[in-house]
Amino acid sequence: MAGYVGRRILAAVPLLLLILTIVFLLVEMAPGDPFSQEPGAGAGPQAAGRLRQAFGADRPLPERFGSWLGAFLSGDLGTSYSQRRPVASLLRESLAKTAVLAGIALALQFLWGTAAGILAAALRSRLWDRVVVLVASLLYSFPSYWIGLVMVSLFSVRLGWLPVSQMHSVEAASMGAWSRLLDAVRHLILPCLSLTLPAAAGIALYVREEMRSILGRDLVRNALARGATRREILLKHSLTGALLPVVTLLGLALPGLVGGSAVLEVLFAWPGMGRLAYQAVLSRDAPLILGCAWVGSIAVVAGSLLADVLSVWADPRLRDRLK
Amino acid sequence: MSATPVWKRAGPAWLAAVLLLGVLAPILAPRPPDLQEDVAGARFLPPLSRAHLLVLQDGRPIVVTSLHAGSGGWEFVRAGESGQVAADRLSRAPEPRFYPLGTDSLGRDLLARLLFGLRHSVLIAALSVVLALALGVMVGAAAGLLGSRWDALLMAGVDALRSIPRLLLYLLCATLFPPSSLLMVIVLGATTWTGLARIVRAEMLALRGSDLAAAARAAGARPLRTVLRHLLPQMAPLLAVNGALRFADTLLLESALSLLGLGAPAPAISLGSIMASGREALSDAWWIVAWPGLLISSLLLSVRSTATLLFRVSDPPSIA
Repeated sequence: MAGYVGRRILAAVPLLLLILTIVFLLVEMAPGDPFSQEPGAGAGPQAAGRLRQAFGADRPLPERFGSWLGAFLSGDLGTSYSQRRPVASLLRESLAKTAVLAGIALALQFLWGTAAGILAAALRSRLWDRVVVLVASLLYSFPSYWIGLVMVSLFSVRLGWLPVSQMHSVEAASMGAWSRLLDAVRHLILPCLSLTLPAAAGIALYVREEMRSILGRDLVRNALARGATRREILLKHSLTGALLPVVTLLGLALPGLVGGSAVLEVLFAWPGMGRLAYQAVLSRDAPLILGCAWVGSIAVVAGSLLADVLSVWADPRLRDRLK
Repeated sequence: MSATPVWKRAGPAWLAAVLLLGVLAPILAPRPPDLQEDVAGARFLPPLSRAHLLVLQDGRPIVVTSLHAGSGGWEFVRAGESGQVAADRLSRAPEPRFYPLGTDSLGRDLLARLLFGLRHSVLIAALSVVLALALGVMVGAAAGLLGSRWDALLMAGVDALRSIPRLLLYLLCATLFPPSSLLMVIVLGATTWTGLARIVRAEMLALRGSDLAAAARAAGARPLRTVLRHLLPQMAPLLAVNGALRFADTLLLESALSLLGLGAPAPAISLGSIMASGREALSDAWWIVAWPGLLISSLLLSVRSTATLLFRVSDPPSIA
């Protein structure tokens, strides 16, 4: 197992380098640079030239790529053009804030989704099963950003219960610990729900389908014949089988959460990775774009590795094949 | 007759109906989607609003929500304020105006905008799926047929492309070139084909050694003909199902990008850009955001259920 993971990580290194090269070239292809957008007020072409010099953006392409790659590999991600701060610290801050939102959303998705899926599979009434499937299919087809907008319009604008955006209130710094926590939770609810609801519905449909297909198999009939109770069959025999593909989904959901919540982060002004990447691209901030690409592609590669490792862990058949 | 319950067939029917709405948008729309008859008078009228259009003698149109003949001419309510105008100051008789879905912040008819937005979004998603299918089939088939070194090289490229965070890729492409509808098609198509390429490759690997391929070869078919006439048609159901699911994803993405203001620019109307205009007016008019979202969800629902049905039809569960 350890050898397998090691091989996969080694194989990911050239892949990540290739990705960074592609993104570097894409950014280079973009017409204009951040220095030509420098706000007017006395800053003429000379100022732009000086800025280019200061940031080293006036050197030829191969030289820049070489020195950038060298610095990058030694851990120096450079300085953001637009925010005038080290890229590494910007990434760290945003990643932590995305992790809060995405982590909670991910946990809720799998918890609610699996629970609803099991419930639907366990229901003996066809009518209730239909109702669960219908509600889940509806929720699954709502775009998360639309759910976000509708909930803001209802709970924030109309009812005034929850804040519209941001992570904290302006006066959060002067609050006590408990009210600060409450404030943070209140800011979390809407973006978190918008992320969770459609995804949880998708997982619920998936788990239900898997459970149903297992419940029809011989192993369940055998278990029944041996005198297993309904609960045992549902939770032990079917669920272990049904969780296998769900576990794979978990790994594949990882990059989606780093990047996929971007639209919601922008809508809710949540200062996370997605919003950072959005701002970086809009301001043509090459070092920051590359930093975001770096984090994002690591998430993709790590996510697919995680998915494979988890499915090997969950499926004894795959474990044997690996040996 | 078949095991498919009727309610599952509602998907394709609804899909066909919605697509027809998009195709017929220019005929069905009550008025041009960009028509601003009277910004102040017609803005933020709720759904099912009835109004009247008065055209003054100087040619200026005004939209009023309530109108009746009074002693000194027409008495009306415009933007919540009552006023009156002498009958002889109108250049023609008042025209009724009905806004089934309401109006937006510029007094434009949302029904018309929604129909044209649907047309635009569906067209962009469909074209980019066609592009993605073409790219995916070409690269996947090449990798699956050429094998060994070419296979490894092509699939490494596909994996690298897949590992770039998708949104970053869209964002980069959207800012690289001046925004347009064509760019949206290319960007969305060129970034979503990699999954299809993997599927086609796996299928090609399986089909390459099949009796079907052997029979075609034995009958004297050249390699290209074997692929195009004998092997690819085998994949048609698979490609149709995947294409449909890709269409749903692309529709979602196109709307998300337009919502963020990165879609095709102003004269083009997309469901996402209608939503973006509604986002700015969230406190005045909930309906601007509501309609495009409901339309997108109903499309997704019908496309996905059609894909499931297609899958069942093309790959029926074994009877044993």
